[in-house]
Amino acid sequence: MKKIPLFFILWVGASGCIWDNEETLFPGPDVCDTLDVSYAMDVVPIMANNCYTCHSNANAPEFAFGITLEDYTDVKASSSAIIGAIRHSDGFPAMPRGADPLDTCSISRIEAWVSAGSPDN
Amino acid sequence: MKTRNLLILLQLGMAVSQSGVYGQDLGAFLEDQVGETTDYTFATFKTTRILNGHSVELDHEGQMDVRISHRFGTINSGAYEFFGLDQAHIHLSFEYGLKDWMMVGMGRGTFEKTVDGFTKIKLLRQSKGIRNMPVSVSWMSGMYVNGLHWSDPERENRFIYRFSFAHQLMIARKFNERFSLQLTPSYLHQNLVETPGDPNDLFSMGAGSRIKLSKRVSFNAEYYYILNRDHQNFTTGIYNPLSLGIDIETGGHVFQIIMTNSVGMAENAFLGHTTGRWLDGDIHIGFNISRVFQLKK
Repeated sequence: MKKIPLFFILWVGASGCIWDNEETLFPGPDVCDTLDVSYAMDVVPIMANNCYTCHSNANAPEFAFGITLEDYTDVKASSSAIIGAIRHSDGFPAMPRGADPLDTCSISRIEAWVSAGSPDN
Repeated sequence: MKTRNLLILLQLGMAVSQSGVYGQDLGAFLEDQVGETTDYTFATFKTTRILNGHSVELDHEGQMDVRISHRFGTINSGAYEFFGLDQAHIHLSFEYGLKDWMMVGMGRGTFEKTVDGFTKIKLLRQSKGIRNMPVSVSWMSGMYVNGLHWSDPERENRFIYRFSFAHQLMIARKFNERFSLQLTPSYLHQNLVETPGDPNDLFSMGAGSRIKLSKRVSFNAEYYYILNRDHQNFTTGIYNPLSLGIDIETGGHVFQIIMTNSVGMAENAFLGHTTGRWLDGDIHIGFNISRVFQLKK
């Protein structure tokens, strides 16, 4: 009978333990990952969603003065102009034309890719 | 007992008066008379804490220990902060000896506005004689409740997230009147940590010692080596707590002056959240005052 309180204390002690962390329980807003940005995995999807309407190989002659951004070499060659355009910098046409600017994270990732030397990765 | 001592003294007097026993060894004579006894070791440490952490000592039955502790800011905060004295953290606790072998305590500290409670029991007493025991051993289990407002009151904050638990085994030996040493294997569990990389369970090995300098003054040192500490895994780097201090006993009071790299005074704080480094000058000056009242004879 005297052992019951001891078991009760042990039970309360054991059941009071949980193994949790705040980051998993309460994930905050997505963090913008600008480390090791990949051309194929990160840059191309951003381009496809926002630029190919005008700058694809098929559409560029009609809508974008022939400036294509579908191939790696074209993107790399225009990289500084792309940065100026998506940041709406002075002296560059603001892109995407007729649409909202790219979100900050997409701009940061393209900038990070260009800063890394525009690798074909 | 008094009668027995009187008899021994009488016999001793008679023995000394007989010329035949002048050459006899007094210790052997007394042992012949009394027989072998068990001598328990007392005052391995002067109080229930070495500096931050528990010592092997317990309050005796009926004793209430009122403890007030302060840790100031870091010395390297400069003259503007009066070398840390402008920033004080406190811990206030009431502790009571239920039995000679069992005590309990409750406290409240500034660090994370924590309310804490603990139970400590004595398992073995260092002794020699009939019963020979090389060490004293005690066990402490504590519970700590974070009292801070939730950083985001809108999310689903469960009360159980506030809890931490610590368990410590204190193994101590008083080698002689001047030197005591304690080893303290410790376990700290925190229900909620910041990121998946922060371990909920921390294991550490503590070591503490007391070197008696005079009848009322001793030098104490205490260090905990956290076994699974890995800076890469912590949101904030944590370091091993190292504390140095002086015990001053003034009859009923024990006053400890401390230098430590931990601002927290309860186990959840100094084992899990010591963020200061001695080498960087993150040293907190502090003190513990212990006042013992005998509530029950």
